[in-house]
Amino acid sequence: MDDKLNDLPCGFFTLTNAGVITEANRTLLNLLQYESGDMLHHHIEAFLTVANKIFFHTYFYPYIQLHGHVNEIYLTLKKKDGHEVPVLLNGVLRERDDQVYIECVLIEMRKRIEYEKDIVNAAKKLEELNKEKDAAHEALKALHKELEKKQEELTDLNRTLELQALTDGLTGVSNRRAFQECLDAAFAAFARSRNPFAMVLLDIDYFKRINDTYGHPVGDEILRRLTQELQAQIRSIDVLARYGGEEFAIILPGANRESAVIAAERFRKSIEEADWGEYRVTISLGAATVSEEDTAESLIAKADQALYASKSGGRNRVTHSED
Amino acid sequence: MNDMAASVFDRNNVRISGKGERPILFAHGFGCDQEMWRYVASEFEQNYRVILFDYVGSGRSDLNHYDPAKYGQLSGYAQDVLEIAKELDLRKAIFVGHSVSGMIGTLASIAEPDLFGRLILIGASPCYLNDVPDYYGGFEKKDIEELLTMMEMNFTGWASYLAPIVMNNPERGELAGELEKSFCSRDPAIARQFAEVTFYADCRRELDKVTVPSLILQCSEDSIAPKEVGDYLHAHLKGSTLKVMQAKGHYPHLSHPEETTRLIKEYLETEYA
Repeated sequence: MDDKLNDLPCGFFTLTNAGVITEANRTLLNLLQYESGDMLHHHIEAFLTVANKIFFHTYFYPYIQLHGHVNEIYLTLKKKDGHEVPVLLNGVLRERDDQVYIECVLIEMRKRIEYEKDIVNAAKKLEELNKEKDAAHEALKALHKELEKKQEELTDLNRTLELQALTDGLTGVSNRRAFQECLDAAFAAFARSRNPFAMVLLDIDYFKRINDTYGHPVGDEILRRLTQELQAQIRSIDVLARYGGEEFAIILPGANRESAVIAAERFRKSIEEADWGEYRVTISLGAATVSEEDTAESLIAKADQALYASKSGGRNRVTHSED
Repeated sequence: MNDMAASVFDRNNVRISGKGERPILFAHGFGCDQEMWRYVASEFEQNYRVILFDYVGSGRSDLNHYDPAKYGQLSGYAQDVLEIAKELDLRKAIFVGHSVSGMIGTLASIAEPDLFGRLILIGASPCYLNDVPDYYGGFEKKDIEELLTMMEMNFTGWASYLAPIVMNNPERGELAGELEKSFCSRDPAIARQFAEVTFYADCRRELDKVTVPSLILQCSEDSIAPKEVGDYLHAHLKGSTLKVMQAKGHYPHLSHPEETTRLIKEYLETEYA
């Protein structure tokens, strides 16, 4: 080997096609701290770690056989003292005198390999961070879903509460507050359409006596049954509300004086004729039909006065405020 | 050809040649593709129906079919071999498997013995890791780990393969193209998984289930599949013939194609004479 080749600024060696070293330049020997006799006629495997051997056999060898060259292969060679030298290697397949050879050059990769390892480590860390980020994202999504569910539950609860706030707990019909809202709505509709409506206030006759004689559970049961009875009598557009104690209010959209009285009379009769068992239950009613000058307060007052008139007139009867 | 066959053939880049009737399948090993058989397969075209293919992830297979769960074990690859054999309606086929393919073919033959007439195992190993004191595979776990790191470094080149970033980085597509040129395995992540599946596989318990007769071609100095491994296979495979080759190394079909071809032909001729 001439001096120029021997002292190239890179390692140079030749292998037989079976992998035996036939030439190695001084630069390579110095790098690995071998005498030329240590390397010549030895298989390249002798200078490779186990993993490098596998790599050599599974990649380097088949690839160079098929493509005639390999470029930028990273390998680790064993020095005489057992230390490892990372190198970057290029090889070509050459034919001389009917013999196939593999010629290789290599350079030491010491600094570059450290950078490379840093990059690999950074990449791995990044991958881990990405995984953590994804996991956190998933957790956040789960929390968000839970929040949505809770919000839905809250909305449902609100709806229930709202309903409860407008409903009478004992009888299940509208309470006084809901009645007030319906009455306001009826006045608003009246202002727009001039279509009349009426309201009826009714009261169970001698209810205090029933309560005192038979007890509150019986009184409550009568209130419930009365509600059912009235509900069966009213139209779907009518509003029945428990106004307080044993007092109920009904709004009758479209009712003038005459039809309000007919309806009220029907209510009275149905209660009187209903089967109350051992009890006798009747109601007194006061009806009032809206007029131009009326407000909610004045209409209620008129119905209340009519109811009072029915009471004082002997109970179990209907009075209209205009009677 | 039906759709199923077309999709299997595209998936595994199946190539068929030869004038004979008896089918012979050549299956490449880890880190390679069907090109590895170029000096050997052509020698069988006169008298056999020669079938070559690439495993999914290697050569010109369709990478879209790569499923990490399926190919996380050798049985996933064996399933593909069976699908190819069924689509070609093979009976008593000769399966020539190099390296890890030896075990893939062995697993396939256990699942469907009727499809295979003979197994020819070149440089095969049922288990690469040592299991002292009973078994010598040639490798320690740390060797395999070092290999995986080496592969990572070589596949990634000096620009480093940042797996999670590449996925979101279409402009790095040209790098993938370069990788494609540099090795037979086209995708670094797939190559790595194939390496793990190959070198961590342990098929020793499967060997006594094999009923198909086999020829074990053992290279005289193979540092991937050492002589002890060939002896182990011979001892545990019923109806196996062991031939120690003049050839040294792990690629007798590349380094010594004549000897490889001759031994396979001799075996088949005596067996079928």
